[in-house]
Amino acid sequence: MADAPQRARGEAQYTADVLLPGMLHAALLRSPHAYARVKKIDVRRALEAPGVHAAVGPEDVEALTDEPGFFGAPVAAIAANTVEQARAALELIDVEWEPLEPLLDPDEAVRRGQLTDEPRRNERGDFERALADADVVVEGEYRTQVVLHNPLETHQSVCRWEGDTLEIYTSTQYIWGIRSRVAKQLGVEPDNVRVVCNYMGGGFGAKNDPGEYTYVAAELARRTGRPVKCALTRREENLAAGNRNATIQRLTVGARSDGTITALGGEFVNAVGWDGWIAPTDGPMQTLYHCENVRTVTYGAKINTAPMKAFRAPGYVEGTFGLECLLDELAARLDVDPLELRRKNYAHSSNERPYSSKNLMECYRRAEPHWERRHELRTRSDSTWKYGAGLASQIWYGGGGPPSYAWTRVGSDGRITVITAMQDIGTGTRTAMAQIAAEELGVPLDRVRVELGDSARGPFASISAGSSTTPSMGPAVRAAAADAKRQIIEIAAQRHHLEERVLDISDGNVVSADGNLSSPLEEIVGLLENAQILGKGARGPNPTGMQVLTFGVQVAEVAVDVETGEVRVLRVAAIHDVGRVINPLGASSQVEGGIIQGIGHTLSEQRLLDPATGTVLTQSLDAYRLPTIADVPEIVCELIDKPDEHLTNLGSKGLGEPPIVPIAAAIANAIRDATGADIHSLPITREEMLRALEAAKQKQRGAPAAV
Amino acid sequence: MELRQPSSAEEAVGLLGNGHVALAGGTEIVPLLRDGLLRADALIDIRRAVPRGIHGTTIGAGTTLAELEVDPGIPVVLREACRLAASPQLRAMGSIGGNLLQATRCWYWRLDFPCYLHGGDRCHAKDGRHDEHAIFGNDVCASAHPSDVAAALLALGTMLRTTARELPLAELYRLPTTDDPQTTTLADDELILELEVPIPEASVYLKAMDRQRWSFPIVGVAAARTAGEVRLGLAGVAPVPWTLTSVDDLDRATPLPGTAYKLPIARALVARALRAVATG
Repeated sequence: MADAPQRARGEAQYTADVLLPGMLHAALLRSPHAYARVKKIDVRRALEAPGVHAAVGPEDVEALTDEPGFFGAPVAAIAANTVEQARAALELIDVEWEPLEPLLDPDEAVRRGQLTDEPRRNERGDFERALADADVVVEGEYRTQVVLHNPLETHQSVCRWEGDTLEIYTSTQYIWGIRSRVAKQLGVEPDNVRVVCNYMGGGFGAKNDPGEYTYVAAELARRTGRPVKCALTRREENLAAGNRNATIQRLTVGARSDGTITALGGEFVNAVGWDGWIAPTDGPMQTLYHCENVRTVTYGAKINTAPMKAFRAPGYVEGTFGLECLLDELAARLDVDPLELRRKNYAHSSNERPYSSKNLMECYRRAEPHWERRHELRTRSDSTWKYGAGLASQIWYGGGGPPSYAWTRVGSDGRITVITAMQDIGTGTRTAMAQIAAEELGVPLDRVRVELGDSARGPFASISAGSSTTPSMGPAVRAAAADAKRQIIEIAAQRHHLEERVLDISDGNVVSADGNLSSPLEEIVGLLENAQILGKGARGPNPTGMQVLTFGVQVAEVAVDVETGEVRVLRVAAIHDVGRVINPLGASSQVEGGIIQGIGHTLSEQRLLDPATGTVLTQSLDAYRLPTIADVPEIVCELIDKPDEHLTNLGSKGLGEPPIVPIAAAIANAIRDATGADIHSLPITREEMLRALEAAKQKQRGAPAAV
Repeated sequence: MELRQPSSAEEAVGLLGNGHVALAGGTEIVPLLRDGLLRADALIDIRRAVPRGIHGTTIGAGTTLAELEVDPGIPVVLREACRLAASPQLRAMGSIGGNLLQATRCWYWRLDFPCYLHGGDRCHAKDGRHDEHAIFGNDVCASAHPSDVAAALLALGTMLRTTARELPLAELYRLPTTDDPQTTTLADDELILELEVPIPEASVYLKAMDRQRWSFPIVGVAAARTAGEVRLGLAGVAPVPWTLTSVDDLDRATPLPGTAYKLPIARALVARALRAVATG
């Protein structure tokens, strides 16, 4: 990692580390009711508390509300000398609440028509007719739970006004999005908003927007003339900083007896919360397999829970769990091999547009040796512990896109600086960008430095979401490096009276094709003395008329204690096709992280509410159970590493999200292989596992009678 | 807040009570103070007042779980209960005396709902979410006691010596009632000093949890065979650490809709534990 020394020495400055002279600390008053009206709010007592400088309420900041629609909705804020003083003063804000009856059941919200948006319908072919003609039909209802992002660094911003310019230090996935959103909200020119994010401690999709903490800090800073930090506590993080919404999926598949899928249908209820958008839970059903008759409808249920936010492949994680479990139930019904079933229904070309590249069949081929292990694995089963393997396919976006820009600066010492106002959200972006520039410029990696994280010190760069950082930014960096290289070669050609076409840069030397010239780069650029070479690069367009998608397959091996419901994930083989791999170590680290986070989603994590009041019960990390290192299985990562020849000058797709997409279904399918129990609900707690085992037992007893 | 550091048990007892709260490793008291669930005018650091260390079958109440889990002289059931509790950081600080006195993890109690244990008039968990709650002794309060160590010590037939008395461990606990939320019989100015832990012929601790480490027990089963007699202690199944006098006691469980799944787990673990100590 290019920035490992900075991180290891504690020199990397995160927003949490930002301490400005005279800085005040803000604390937020949050609603203790899932649904209520603020009839009266009075901050006078709070303003008199020790250390308090200012207070704001719903009338002062739009992100604060006088009609909180979820437990923990932000209502008011205090700025004080210390965060302890600010929190203490919150107790002195007098609020008269009018509690209202919360609606927490997403199905009931759909029945009442209480939706966040129009239902999204996607239909092709004739689903009903195909279903009627099918040899076999399998139906199932699948449920996924609310899980929380829990980045190591909580959501936070420090705001400071310098004249009419607002400086925002913030933990974000999108510097430029914060800039434009805040400028619009506050009615200032975008150029008068500077956004800085040097290092950030993870976002997973929850940090794409400014958030109430930014607006509150900006307003309190304006009122006090002092810098203000507003940082969420870990508990606030678990209340109101975003979540992966729960889903209910009622799915149907129709197939011919040879395993050809002829009809796919799904009704998806996304429990969006009080606000948010409808994630594409129907995406996998629409796109993963070849099927001419598909009908889906997706509802966004508006309920009195915290708003969802994007969370690492939103919609596809949930939808893949449902679809890929359904596929395995179909395979079991038809008694065909689950891997063969997937090959048989392979989508060779998309229903709309061709793929820029697709190597899923190659992923399946490379999965074979892992899949074969199941025969030996099953023989380990005894009366208590049952062993089995399961697999699931992955489809997701990850192509990135324009616009994005980068500059390269080559100094007279032959050192290269890459400059772009992007953010590194902890995915090793600095390293990958340095690698791309070093390779293109023909210099060792340690000659390249990457400067990012400041909207005032670099060109526009893309959001770090949708697995887009590398495919959006990498091509711009490569183009900027190529531009600088062209200029260097031009100078070298003039200096040495050679044609440009015979010159190249290799291992830090300008070399000629005949080998007669090998001159260190610094000797050529040293001719410029204090002047520098500046390269500019822009991200080119995506291929016209093509879909840029990522693919993969994962094979999970599990052991299940059928007496106590304990599930252990033993091994996961992850094979993904994401185009050219820039940094193999960074890539395998993304795969491991995705799988571990997905294991939490699959087995132990869930945000629980009190059913009567909508109070979040799992506010602390002892109640909300992230996996620990002891829960991590052996992870085998294989990447196809074949550049997408249609995709810009780099051929790389993103990898942040693909690894988390298939893991839940792969584990659930492995559990079925081991025990015969159908998992229909996440997380697979002891209770859910024992319930599924009992249901399988009943089904087995019932089966002979039904024949 | 004031911190006092008495150098003897007598001095400590003189300081305790009236809003003065004993502090040992701090892994329990500090989070409760921070969350406003415990109020204290002064903290009495008892680390110099309470014995620490292992002498034969006598364990000082100030001994940490980390010290116990690695001592080969400690019965397996207790070492395992320590090893499977909390995290290494917490075990390095938490004392065995404090562990016995820890509060429930019931989320309603932790969020300060006005339940029986907080002097209120109902158990919110019974009507609400009680996935992690009790299957025994849950007439009034459905909370589950989280101590792995207490279950192990119950199975071992541990005696306690306090600044006021000697008693079997089981008598340290009482089920909360509608008019008295206390779950222990320890007085405000009473300190646990030492534990007398018999050496069994065989013992085992089995724990079901939501993840492989750092989780409170869904069900913890401790079994120890001492002088040919097997005793069973359970964690996570009742508002206090629970003794099973026989396997048949499981038939008298009173699970709630959301805790019914704990019963088959308890049955399986009890059967395994009994098999383990029958031969071990």
